Amino acid sequence: MWFVSFVKSSIGKKWIMALSGSFLTLFLCSHAAGNATLFSSISLFQAYADQLHSHPLIISVFSKGLTLTFAVHVVTGSLLFLQNRKARNQRYKVKTRAISNSQASSTMIYSGLFILLFIVIHTSVVSFGDHGKIGVTISEMFRSFFVSMFYIIAFIGLAIHLSHGFWSMLQTFGVNHPSYNSLISRLTYIVPLFFLLIFGTIPLLFLFGMVS
Amino acid sequence: MQLKSNVPEGPLAEKWDKHRFSTKLVNPANRRKYKVIVVGTGLAGASAAATLAEQGYEVSSFCIQDSPRRAHSIAAQGGINAAKNYQNDGDSIQRLFYDTIKGGDFRSREANVYRLAQVSNNIIDQCVAQGVPFAREYGGTLANRSFGGAQVSRTFYARGQTGQQLLFGAYSALSRQIKSGKVTMHTRQEMMELVLVDGQARGIVTRDIISGEIASYSADAVILATGGYGNAYFLSTNAMASNVTAAWRAHRMGAGFANPSFVQIHPTCIPVHGSYQSKLTLMSESLRNDGRVWVPKKPGDTRKPGSIPEEERDYYLENKYPSFGNLVPRDVASRNAKEQCDAGKGVGSTQLAVYLDFAEAIRRDGEATILKKYGNLFQMYEKITDSNPLHEPMMIYPAVHYTMGGLWVDYNLMTTIPGLFAIGECNFSDHGANRLGASALMQGLADGYFIIANCIADYFGSTNPDKVSSTLPQFVDARKKCQDRIQKLLRGSKNGPQGKLTVDDIHKELGILLWDHCGMARNKEGLEKALAKLPALQEKFWKDVYIPGKGKELNQSLERAGRLADFLEFAEIIIRDALAREESCGCHLREESQTEENEAKRDDVNYSHVSVWEYQGDGQEPVLHKEELTFENVTPSQRSYK
Amino acid sequence: MTTKSIDLSLEIWRQKDSRTTGVFESYQLKSISADMSFLEMLDVLNEKLTREGLDPVAFDHDCREGICGMCGAVVNGIAHGPEPETTLCQLHMRHFCNGDTIVIEPFRSRAFPIRKDLIVDRSALDRIIQAGGYISVNTGGAPDGNAIPIPSATAELAMDAAACIGCGACVASCPNGAAMLFTGAKISQLSLLPQGRPERKERAMAMVSAMDKEGFGNCTNERECEAVCPKGISIRNIARMNREFVKASFFG
Repeated sequence: MWFVSFVKSSIGKKWIMALSGSFLTLFLCSHAAGNATLFSSISLFQAYADQLHSHPLIISVFSKGLTLTFAVHVVTGSLLFLQNRKARNQRYKVKTRAISNSQASSTMIYSGLFILLFIVIHTSVVSFGDHGKIGVTISEMFRSFFVSMFYIIAFIGLAIHLSHGFWSMLQTFGVNHPSYNSLISRLTYIVPLFFLLIFGTIPLLFLFGMVS
Repeated sequence: MQLKSNVPEGPLAEKWDKHRFSTKLVNPANRRKYKVIVVGTGLAGASAAATLAEQGYEVSSFCIQDSPRRAHSIAAQGGINAAKNYQNDGDSIQRLFYDTIKGGDFRSREANVYRLAQVSNNIIDQCVAQGVPFAREYGGTLANRSFGGAQVSRTFYARGQTGQQLLFGAYSALSRQIKSGKVTMHTRQEMMELVLVDGQARGIVTRDIISGEIASYSADAVILATGGYGNAYFLSTNAMASNVTAAWRAHRMGAGFANPSFVQIHPTCIPVHGSYQSKLTLMSESLRNDGRVWVPKKPGDTRKPGSIPEEERDYYLENKYPSFGNLVPRDVASRNAKEQCDAGKGVGSTQLAVYLDFAEAIRRDGEATILKKYGNLFQMYEKITDSNPLHEPMMIYPAVHYTMGGLWVDYNLMTTIPGLFAIGECNFSDHGANRLGASALMQGLADGYFIIANCIADYFGSTNPDKVSSTLPQFVDARKKCQDRIQKLLRGSKNGPQGKLTVDDIHKELGILLWDHCGMARNKEGLEKALAKLPALQEKFWKDVYIPGKGKELNQSLERAGRLADFLEFAEIIIRDALAREESCGCHLREESQTEENEAKRDDVNYSHVSVWEYQGDGQEPVLHKEELTFENVTPSQRSYK
Repeated sequence: MTTKSIDLSLEIWRQKDSRTTGVFESYQLKSISADMSFLEMLDVLNEKLTREGLDPVAFDHDCREGICGMCGAVVNGIAHGPEPETTLCQLHMRHFCNGDTIVIEPFRSRAFPIRKDLIVDRSALDRIIQAGGYISVNTGGAPDGNAIPIPSATAELAMDAAACIGCGACVASCPNGAAMLFTGAKISQLSLLPQGRPERKERAMAMVSAMDKEGFGNCTNERECEAVCPKGISIRNIARMNREFVKASFFG
């Protein structure tokens, strides 16, 4: 079956990473848009949550799809990591890199696993909590300095993950052309910073009591 | 030894067509019954192996490197000639033929050279079809550049990597046949011996470079495409592994060796820095279009070039050859550079270099123009020497580059041993006493793609060889001979290196001996001296060389020792050939044969022949045979560059 | 030309053959001319070792002018050493300082088994080419070279990709031991040219599957390959291969 052999191939697996990654990025966009209501007020955010949960079918389809996409991303990524370790069975004595700025790319598995940990905690508290009181839950949660810090660190991790992931996704899709490469390299900073700004500001707002 | 050239009858332009019609063929269904061994995977070897396999023969291909893609054809920079006349500047098959035979100073066979010119156009078409990315004009058609020795623009190129791209074309065709199972590829194998059964070439013995195992392979015909022997001189532009062993072993089994003293020495190489130097790097001759060659007038002048005033410089080429100046042909430029250095006027730390100065061209045309023309060459030079030719003159020195001599072959590319063929630089056939730029690639591919398959078919069709297997006593003996030889090489090394010499020590000594006495300019006295010195050097090698390690393992010192042992034997016929040819021609000047103006004087009355050497056994003097060259279509003319 | 000379400490991976495990050995070299190439420095070391009755270091090399792709080792952690777009044979000792310690290791990858010391077996790369790195034309009968016009820019792009010398530095430097740059370069060259178009789908499928079978790793876009490539081949060729492969998989 061509699809199975595609999925099993090296480029196929990369493509699955890129495709699932791009879905997750789209989810982040919608999540960011929803969360941005907090910049207005908790009650608006609560209204948004209520509205969302008044469509259980949509929630069910999206959350299952999202979980699946996420699982595919994590499993394929881990598989690639393990396969790649095996492909380079012996390490070099001197460990240097020929290119600078390689930290994000060489730590994808670690930033990824950290994000996974964050998401497990985040969803168990927020998504599986009481949706009717979500506004209260998060405002209480972010009052804690340590929780806020944990969230901010996780968002920084996400930004690092994205800074390589976004460019890597385009490269895997075959988007690499001298005419657009300078735009793409700018986007590799803009996209993660955009998410860091939106997600990272929220706990800060709570911490400094600036949410109405 | 019978030297029958087997050139077909009839008008020159029709010989090849007629020949192809009159020769025997092998039915496509029967071709799979014939096994062919091809040794070497350069342009000639890879293209021959691929083409024969495409036609249905069972091919075994051998190379010394870890991949067939690394053969030294890869290093050719400039381009490949063809008589396409795409530029509409008066080119034709006849003109390419004439330029090539004249460039070879009328020491090659008319019919072979004409055939080369005829198939040159097919080569370009074939390579384009294979996906060779030749340079293109903006309109999408193939681009050409001009090259030395021709007044038309007929050279096709792929940046400065034409050899590489053509080789990759042949390598890809070969790879396709390996995949299809028609070619069995043997990498990291060195041919050690040729096996004859009933006087016919029926197989080879090889040493596996990784394991040191000796193995033999049988076939119905053997094709040698093992390149040139420039490394006899130790320093050359050849790759480190290039050697004469395969050709020399064939010669010892009875293959005549033609014109071994025809060695081309290229004038613009980066000079030797020190005794550790392992090879020389060629730079394009085009540099001489704008560079002025000079040395200080005073011998032993160690001042920096910038502080030597104009009146104390000797622009010796311009002074000696006012009409051609710095653009004299390769051999004249090379010879004069060596003369200046021998007179103590050489420059640089080793005093084995002359200046090639761009200062005036930069003043005249500006830095930008010069950089546009030679930027990549300047970069390459700076990378190696750490000196920028924009600010101080380049230093250049001649280096051994190409060997026109090689195994003697007839019109069918067959040596004097039936069933043994030689193609590419390994044979002597097409370049006479001097090879023109961009002609080596053409010859390698012509032989491999378009000529050898016809010759092989004719051979099989007319002889119908019996099947042999490598269990025959001839194969067993040949394997034993190789093993004994390896034991002999290692024999002296049992007691450690004390008081011994390394392989390179002796190779360098051989190199200097040949370079000093059998280089661009030769004389009887020097050659006789070299010939007298050779036995002592050979003895020193067998007595004093230390080779670490064992035979049955990866042993690079042993590999080099084996090659050097053959170079040491082979050197004798280089020198003898130079001694016997008492005329100046092509690449070399025989000092006794000069015009009143100290120019090379060819002697068509006595030397219009190919010198072919026959091996007589160890310690026996080789015998010289002659194939007379007759010119029915061109009239040999004398060169003059004054 | 400089006549400076330097003293060096070398740490070189020594391994007898494929079956044994290797170790690092230390060597001292005095008065190495700065004009020497890296391989000439190794020649000097080998002459010294030979005279001392020790086993010289086995290393692959041939043309010594940066084109055959035979040489290569990892020098202080970087394939082909510190100079960009330079093969080991074209690296000169003037790029090192007096007293430097140089660590020399073979190209490492599961697909490149070590044969001895610095010599590795790169035949896996040949097998990738054998899977489809060609245009299936037999000798003879090719149309005139000018029959298909090819834009100069396209020919140049194809040439950029075709410049690959198959040295394997991309694999050696890739943290995943992937051969994507090597494979991508050949797929690119042939898919850019009109002659290569008829087989482009089969070629992409066959070459990628051969590459996977050889045990090379997967690309994670680390860009190390591009950084060490002695011919400056761009990872744009990997992007092009990705496109070719996906197109061939979905619409083959």
